[in-house]
Amino acid sequence: QSLFKMGSLFRSEEMCLAQLYLQSEAAFACVSELGELGLAQFRDLNPDVNAFQRKFVNEVRRCDDMERKLRFLEKEVKKDNLAIDDTDIITSKTDYRESFRVRTTEETVGLYNIYRERGKTHIQESLTASAQYNLVVYNISFIIFVAGVLMRDKISAFERVIWRACRGNVFLRYTEIEAELEDPHTGDKVNKYVFIVFFQGDQLKSRIKKICTGFRATLYPCPETPQERREIALGVMTRIEDLQTVLNQTADHRRMVLSQVALNIRVWLIKVRKIKAIYHTLNLFNKCLIAECWCPVVDIDRIQLALRRGTELSGSSVPSIMQQMQTKENPPTYNQTDKFTSGFQAIIDAFGVSNYREVNPAPFTIITFPFLFAVMFGDMGHGLLMFLFALYLVLKENRYMKHKPEDEIFKMMFDGRYLILLMGLFSIYTGFLYNECFSRSINIFGTSWNVRAMNFTLKNQHLTLDPNKPGVFRGYPYFYGIDPIWQSAENKITVQNSYKMKNAVLMGFAQMIFGLSLAFCNRRHFKDKLTLYCELLPQLLFLCALIGYLCMCILYKWSVWTVAQSNTAPSLLIGLIDMYMLTDPKSNNRVPLYTGQYQVQIFLVIVTVLCVPWMFLSKPYILYKRSKQKKGVPGGLDSQSDDDVAILHHENNDANYGKQEPESFDMSEVIIYQAIHTIEFCLSCISHTASYLRLWALSLAHSELSEVLWSMVMHTGLATSGTSGAILSFFVFWFFSSLTVSILLVMEGLSAFLHAIRLHWVEFQSKFYKGEGYIFSPFSFTLIVEGKV
Amino acid sequence: NKVSSFKIKLENGGFLEGLVRGFKNGISKEDYRHLTQCDTLEDLKLHLQGTGYGHFLANEPSPLTVSVIDEKLREKLVIEFEYIRNHAYKDLATFLDFIKYSYMIDNIILLITGTLHQRQLSELLPKCHPLGIFDQMETVTIASTTADLYNAILVDSPLAPFFKECISEEDLNEMNIEIIRNTLYKAYLEAFYDWCQQKGGATADVMCEILAFEADRRSIIITINSFGTELTKEDRAKLYPRRGKLYPDGLLELSKADEYEAVKRVSELYAEYKPLFDGTGNNPGDKTLEDKFFEHEVTLNVNSFMQQFQYGVFYSYVKLKEQECRNIIWIAECIAQRHRAKIDSYIPIM
Repeated sequence: QSLFKMGSLFRSEEMCLAQLYLQSEAAFACVSELGELGLAQFRDLNPDVNAFQRKFVNEVRRCDDMERKLRFLEKEVKKDNLAIDDTDIITSKTDYRESFRVRTTEETVGLYNIYRERGKTHIQESLTASAQYNLVVYNISFIIFVAGVLMRDKISAFERVIWRACRGNVFLRYTEIEAELEDPHTGDKVNKYVFIVFFQGDQLKSRIKKICTGFRATLYPCPETPQERREIALGVMTRIEDLQTVLNQTADHRRMVLSQVALNIRVWLIKVRKIKAIYHTLNLFNKCLIAECWCPVVDIDRIQLALRRGTELSGSSVPSIMQQMQTKENPPTYNQTDKFTSGFQAIIDAFGVSNYREVNPAPFTIITFPFLFAVMFGDMGHGLLMFLFALYLVLKENRYMKHKPEDEIFKMMFDGRYLILLMGLFSIYTGFLYNECFSRSINIFGTSWNVRAMNFTLKNQHLTLDPNKPGVFRGYPYFYGIDPIWQSAENKITVQNSYKMKNAVLMGFAQMIFGLSLAFCNRRHFKDKLTLYCELLPQLLFLCALIGYLCMCILYKWSVWTVAQSNTAPSLLIGLIDMYMLTDPKSNNRVPLYTGQYQVQIFLVIVTVLCVPWMFLSKPYILYKRSKQKKGVPGGLDSQSDDDVAILHHENNDANYGKQEPESFDMSEVIIYQAIHTIEFCLSCISHTASYLRLWALSLAHSELSEVLWSMVMHTGLATSGTSGAILSFFVFWFFSSLTVSILLVMEGLSAFLHAIRLHWVEFQSKFYKGEGYIFSPFSFTLIVEGKV
Repeated sequence: NKVSSFKIKLENGGFLEGLVRGFKNGISKEDYRHLTQCDTLEDLKLHLQGTGYGHFLANEPSPLTVSVIDEKLREKLVIEFEYIRNHAYKDLATFLDFIKYSYMIDNIILLITGTLHQRQLSELLPKCHPLGIFDQMETVTIASTTADLYNAILVDSPLAPFFKECISEEDLNEMNIEIIRNTLYKAYLEAFYDWCQQKGGATADVMCEILAFEADRRSIIITINSFGTELTKEDRAKLYPRRGKLYPDGLLELSKADEYEAVKRVSELYAEYKPLFDGTGNNPGDKTLEDKFFEHEVTLNVNSFMQQFQYGVFYSYVKLKEQECRNIIWIAECIAQRHRAKIDSYIPIM
């Protein structure tokens, strides 16, 4: 199974267009089964019809309404702080009848809500009233007064308006009600004031009452004698108690209903969402419920099985029929991924979805991406930290899968956890090669250099190790990676620069050649011999003659030239310049790299130069010839294809498929296109190779930065002796570690990541990848429920 | 230097401007065409879900009514506006308050008129525009004279400076209210115009153009509406806002006009207004002058979005949204009343 999956990652799945004939009574069940399966992408057969003129628009609307009710219930449940049960949200089957029950529940809750509101209103009134009764103690009987309660934020404006409107002939007292009251409509807590206004005369009374209504104050009648007031207060008290019991009962009942709802609400919501999705899909079908869908060829059996199951479930006697169709349209690209490969596929898809059945770079990216990243990020320590972080995410993935992380940045890292894991692993590996752990080298196998042979005494500050002297170099290199003795050398950077630079060119060439060989796979697969011989072959020769030869020289010089000859060794750069100046190295008194160098180089230059017109002219010429031939036989080929189209028309009863006319041949367009391509490729051979030098540059930057961080920060702590040194080291370590994480891991890591992406998208993929396809988006409940559609 | 000035501008409302430009995207021409094809309000709701308005009606139970849609549209605008207002400070806050003042004026006039006709306050309040609500607003019903209105209520409100010109001891009656409304508007427009002019820069360029048109539109409409009423020509002249392009010569001519043709003659002297009077009429199929004015206003407001780092976009955003809401409501009304003949006479926003 896994082998098969690997194969499918190399190219996208083979797709076919199929037509489904569904029975009207079985359509719902069938589509539901297909949604569970998630392997068919339905095409819109009525693109000209508005959303509201489609067949199942009423059903969609009913689902909308149901969703609204469920949202209302969810809000109520959340208001009461009940835990919503979402542990078991995997509902297998969609039963439409069941969802009707929701309606009744919703009505009951709505009813209780209304009860509750009414109760609250009464209570609030009573509470405020009683509070006010208690307040009005001093009373001047011959002066009329009005009393009530008012929102806190309005009281100052109220006071001013009253004063102005009555020209100062009033006396207003107010005080805050200490208990927070609940707004019966929204349920929010509000602060209110109770006030009393004393005044004389009826005219003022009407005026003040108007102002009170203007400010939405609630007025309460208040009798004048203390006895009456006490009686009313008592009455209010009993009323409050009564209401409280009623309220408690309704609240209990409400809670009971809601806790029932809380258990099921998720399931209901998902059900409604599924049903809605089914009707949306049914709306894509034509009037007689004939559907068209793209599906992977390998899964046709499963789709047919699902159709049969759907038909059985609905009890329909007539089976639903599935039939493959011929089409000239480009099928969608479907790359099956799992949790490991999806992160890598995402990087590729971010550049462009591959053409149908084009070579998919994702499986190679799984290795090359972390590797190129690690070349720039090589450090055992940093790699280990990154690896452990990713390992944590991977081990905890089940937990995070269940509760999706909200934070967008964290989510991104979580999605790429396997990518980061591999990046960490490879960084440890390259760190070993560079022999760097937080910029320190480790001497595991024993250095190959012998200091004693140089007669080293403690007196001389500087010491040059000359490998030509017998005994200084032990004769065999350090077993693995770079010799730790370079850590203390002053010319460490110079030596490593030359080394890493050449490595970068070698790796770049390897990846570009690999890209061209993938292009070869593409040409073979699409049986495009013309491009294979007229474009790919000269491209390959061009690249090999130009960059490949340079790489050969590098390797040759490394392996053949020895330390003893280092003084006379030729420069590769000068050699390359000489090669294209067509000068013989001997004529300038330079030592040739190998015998016969001049003749080989002349040959290679000729090959390079010949490749350019080959790339540029051969393809347009052959195309021109072919088009002429076609014209020579009037109607021959064309009428043939017309017939094909006609047959297709007949089969499909749809005009959409005859669209692609045979292309008209335009010579100038072909030539311009080819010229652009040729120029682009020739220039890019140089510029892309140069671009791979970023591998060296970033690796240099990384090792220098971590070196600086060590010597400027950690070193100062460790260099201090005694107790103060211990304490200093303690604090310095925190500083060091936080800088390591923030600058070296996060910032440097991001920059290396970015450069690795660029190397893949531009330098690697430009050699073979078109990326002009469109992605397969099947009708799938899992995607819909997760909210990804 | 350019970068630093850019930074200053960003600090001074750049974020909000970006926000407003995002809010602006509502309904496209295509969407309008689809909306007019709807058969019921439910269809309308379904289609609006696909536009920038999103799910603003999702929690409304069926059956929908036009008033619910209206209320929700208004609510959406108010939420967006209040969000911007809450994040604004200094000049931008003042500017946004100026936008609110016009709604306050409308609300006060609505309440006074309503009280004169013995309507209940509870009946009137829902009709007030939520952008124009202020603390003392609901108490305007106690006033019986303009002096009362000012001294007791409006003196504390932001509208007080605009009110000074119309204080008198006369009782409030319908004629009076109209005069108050127009005087208030005149004072408001002049103050707003002067503020923008003083602000200078692109804000002045854009806003003065829009406000000048607003002033002229008011003058013309006041003149046309005054025919056949007891308003004297001198009183009428006092109501013209003196900041538009018609000021001063055009307004002088307008004050002498006593028929529609005279107004038309005056306006046609001005290049901007000539096309507005062409082809208007009350025949079926003709556009009314009012619609033409609206169209011109929309053009001005759309143009205001062409310039950056100025406050005009906020004003234009509110006005364009309002127009868009009016369009939706118009279409909704036509659908609800099954009166499809005139469904296309909304004013599209480019």
